[in-house]
Amino acid sequence: MTRRSVVRRGTVLLWVARHALAIALALMFLGPLVFIALTALMSDRQALTSDLWPHTWNWGNFAEIFEKAPLLTWIRNTLLYSVLATAFMLVSSIPVAYALARFRFRGRRLAFLLVITTMMLPPQVVAVPIYLIWARFHLTGTLWPLILPMLLGDAFSIFLLRQFLVTIPREYSDAAKVDGCGEFRTLVRVILPMARPAIAAVALFQFFYCWNDYYGPLLYAGTDLDSWTLSLGLAAFRSVHRVQWNLTMAATLLAMAPVIIVFFFAQKVFIEGVKLTGVK
Amino acid sequence: MAGTALSRPNPLSRGNLRALLYLSPWLAGFAIFFVYPLVSTVYFSFQRYDLFTLEPVGLLNWEYFLKDQAAWTAIRNTLWLVVVMVPLRVLFGLGVAQLVTRLKAGAGVYRTIFYLPALVPLVAGTLGFVFLLNPGTGPVQAILSAVGLPAPDWFGDPAWSKWGLTLLGLWSVGDLMVIFMAALLDVPKQLYEAAAIDGANGWRQFTSITLPVIRPVLMFALVTGVIQTLQYFTQAEVAARVASGATDSAGSVFTPGYPDQSTLTFPQWLFQQGFRDYAMGYACVLALMLFAVAMVFTLILLRQFRGLGEEDV
Amino acid sequence: MKRLLFLSAALSIGAELAALTACTAGTESGPPKMAQSGASHEPVTIEFWHGFSADNELKAFDETLAGFRKKFPWITVKPTKAVQDGQILQSVRGGNPPDVALSFTTDSVAEFCKAGIFQDLNPYLKASGIDPASLFPKVIAEYTQYQGKRCVMPMLADAYGLYYNKTLMQGHQPPKTMSELADLAKKLTVKDDKGDIKVAGFVPTSQMYENAPIHTGVMVGAKWTNPDGTSAIGSDPQWKKLMTWQKELTDWYGYDRLEKFRKSFGDEWSAENPFNTGKVAMAVDGEWRTAMLAADAPDLDYGTAPLPVADDQPQRYGAGFIAGTVIGIPRGAKHAEAAWELVRYLTTDTGSLVTLSNAIRNVPSTLPALQSPDLKKDPNFQTFLDVFANPDSTTLPAHVNSVFNQQTLQEAQIKWESGRASDLDALLAEVDKKIDEKLKLTAGG
Repeated sequence: MTRRSVVRRGTVLLWVARHALAIALALMFLGPLVFIALTALMSDRQALTSDLWPHTWNWGNFAEIFEKAPLLTWIRNTLLYSVLATAFMLVSSIPVAYALARFRFRGRRLAFLLVITTMMLPPQVVAVPIYLIWARFHLTGTLWPLILPMLLGDAFSIFLLRQFLVTIPREYSDAAKVDGCGEFRTLVRVILPMARPAIAAVALFQFFYCWNDYYGPLLYAGTDLDSWTLSLGLAAFRSVHRVQWNLTMAATLLAMAPVIIVFFFAQKVFIEGVKLTGVK
Repeated sequence: MAGTALSRPNPLSRGNLRALLYLSPWLAGFAIFFVYPLVSTVYFSFQRYDLFTLEPVGLLNWEYFLKDQAAWTAIRNTLWLVVVMVPLRVLFGLGVAQLVTRLKAGAGVYRTIFYLPALVPLVAGTLGFVFLLNPGTGPVQAILSAVGLPAPDWFGDPAWSKWGLTLLGLWSVGDLMVIFMAALLDVPKQLYEAAAIDGANGWRQFTSITLPVIRPVLMFALVTGVIQTLQYFTQAEVAARVASGATDSAGSVFTPGYPDQSTLTFPQWLFQQGFRDYAMGYACVLALMLFAVAMVFTLILLRQFRGLGEEDV
Repeated sequence: MKRLLFLSAALSIGAELAALTACTAGTESGPPKMAQSGASHEPVTIEFWHGFSADNELKAFDETLAGFRKKFPWITVKPTKAVQDGQILQSVRGGNPPDVALSFTTDSVAEFCKAGIFQDLNPYLKASGIDPASLFPKVIAEYTQYQGKRCVMPMLADAYGLYYNKTLMQGHQPPKTMSELADLAKKLTVKDDKGDIKVAGFVPTSQMYENAPIHTGVMVGAKWTNPDGTSAIGSDPQWKKLMTWQKELTDWYGYDRLEKFRKSFGDEWSAENPFNTGKVAMAVDGEWRTAMLAADAPDLDYGTAPLPVADDQPQRYGAGFIAGTVIGIPRGAKHAEAAWELVRYLTTDTGSLVTLSNAIRNVPSTLPALQSPDLKKDPNFQTFLDVFANPDSTTLPAHVNSVFNQQTLQEAQIKWESGRASDLDALLAEVDKKIDEKLKLTAGG
């Protein structure tokens, strides 16, 4: 046997081993999702047994959850929270990120460090006084305490946008200025179109953060069932609506669906965005 | 042209004012949602406050902290997650990333599959996991005992509940995987080729070439992982609620941390004190503790950023 | 910029101190103005939060509200179902309360009254000419007030007893003592060839649906607190007796097997409740279960009896835990006057109480309703009326940290029954310590 075929054989084995591992991992990552889907289709009684495969396929479960719980209200609230918070965040955070990336001013370094600090701070640290502020305005029991602050910038989004904006070569904005564009017009006309991938990424991140958020709505909207979001409803689904695991899993699947669908369409944006979060 | 704005001594220069204008939303937010709350958290930590009556109580809240066993249990649990779950996630994420970058066929499909769970809403993922690991109804216990392995009651046994949460964390490792994949692809290919010619094997290649290049990213992942874990709330709260089978009926009271406070994390206890028991003053003591610890890790992270923000000045 | 930050911080602190002197969330209202009968009424909508969530109860309660609408056509009631005490507390403290709130437990009454979560209803009662002493049974009058304030009214009461599945009992009579209960539980238990439980005679752990210590403590007559509010749990030997008994029976099954079995139960308030489906032969439950069984498992042949008592306390047989649903007007309610009309209707109108009691099978909470000839009495429900009338029956004494105290004891119970704590005395001493420290934190002293 020549040396060459030994090497070849080694690479083939390696190839097989890698793919076997990858397939095993894929099964582990997908397993829970499949199990949730199967349970969602079981009958009430079967969901209380350890049988894996539905005896009867109860597609009606998906209709039943809409009757049992105000899912449409939860979806509406979740959308309201996610859309408004994302829009507000973009309006307020882009100029800040731009200034941090491009302007030269005193305290610029300090400002950036403070952005990172607030980004890293657990939200529970300042929860009590902020709750009191909203209680004073009688806005507890609604989602507004989670939406309105987005008008004042979001540290994580500022950080991410700034990381991207510093990579845009200065020549572009300089050229725009030569053409007589002011700073703001340069931002809108030249920088924003170039930063589209980053903006799309932070918008998606913000949207999904809100969509998945549990702590925030629990703190502020937990008291008022009319303001509940999908996350809140889901966590209390089984006990408040007196249903079994199958319906709970059907609702779980429903909450996951939009996220997964959007991900398939916007996969690239996501992946690029996640890469931005790592430091280079 | 570099440095023209900085060299000007006037703090009210046009450049500074313009920056102030652009930064103003964030500055207002910083003042209202950071500086002010932090100062008043200190103030409230010396008060008894239930949102109705405010009463100065001196050091009472701080003394209670020393005696509050649940708080110390919560600290221990949070530390456990920091010491066990965070490194495991980083290692697992790195391993999966290594694997995917080396797959030539189907890498895109695998990347999608491995990343997917990271997107699943926390509450939904936790519900699914608890049910998956639930004895009596979930398949995991049945499978484990079928192959003769011990089949623990994951979320019902304090010795296993944090491992259950760790499994959940490993399942949603996708974000770390993507960051590591990007870092691994940054490693110049020629280095590996050169090393292969020198006869360096896989492990040597990893320690002498890969590791030095991805070190900053690894550090970043570790520190942000720690900071995220200091906020660990949703998964533990939902898992405990569901696993305990609490039904919210009269007389059956839900205690966070089920079983035996083994999943009680620090933010949960803070939330419980502040917004369930309305011991707002005491919650502020806990908040300041959390702040102190989070700041230590933030400072470590900031060292990573030293030099950033100056590169083009 | 540093100066700017400092300035804004200083400004906010100033604002904070100024605001603190003002009242934060709602104010206590002055003496009520009672509506003159016959006067014209402005249409008004009141928000009403309640805890009903089981299908049969929701339906019956909607009918009761329809009765109110007929009598007070200008008041529109906007009900919200499945509300927990925690939500009521947070909404009132957060300054965004409903007009009327209903709680299934009396656990929080002390907190409701002491912190002023609910308005004192005595002025309303006086203005409406209602004398609570002659209207309510004595035990109910107790659990709806705290230190002279009556901040909630009773709307139906609950009593707890033992349900037994006659088919599964195989002719045995319901047990009267705890030893009898344990013996019978063992006899009636069915396991499969792998040793997994198929039918349990009785699930003894505190985590079982209605086995919370407030309900089972009455089996041994255990005490919660001393008159000064400190914990009596560690010093009362009865708790030890109860928990030792629970542990013995739990160990007979094996804790892990019992947990595996328990975790395959359907939701307590659904048709899949394990007693409904014949998974357990005997269970502690409240009187409402009779209505739920009628709705969800009409073919089940069952009986009811008082809870078994400790072997050395046979004279206490017949006693049980009593509590009830309470209803009140939160501080900061926007339409207190209309809210009072609803509270008054739901808690004092004999016809409405009897109709609701017949539908959801709760114990009526006024003397006229208890004596009403329209009240349906079947033997299974009669058990609970008897428990309710038994002089040894007890309710949970009002305590500002009532919920915390229960949580603390229940956590200890779980630790104990699972075998993760071996020294019961030390465990209960720990409970005492936690409760007493918490009392200092929240109530001073």
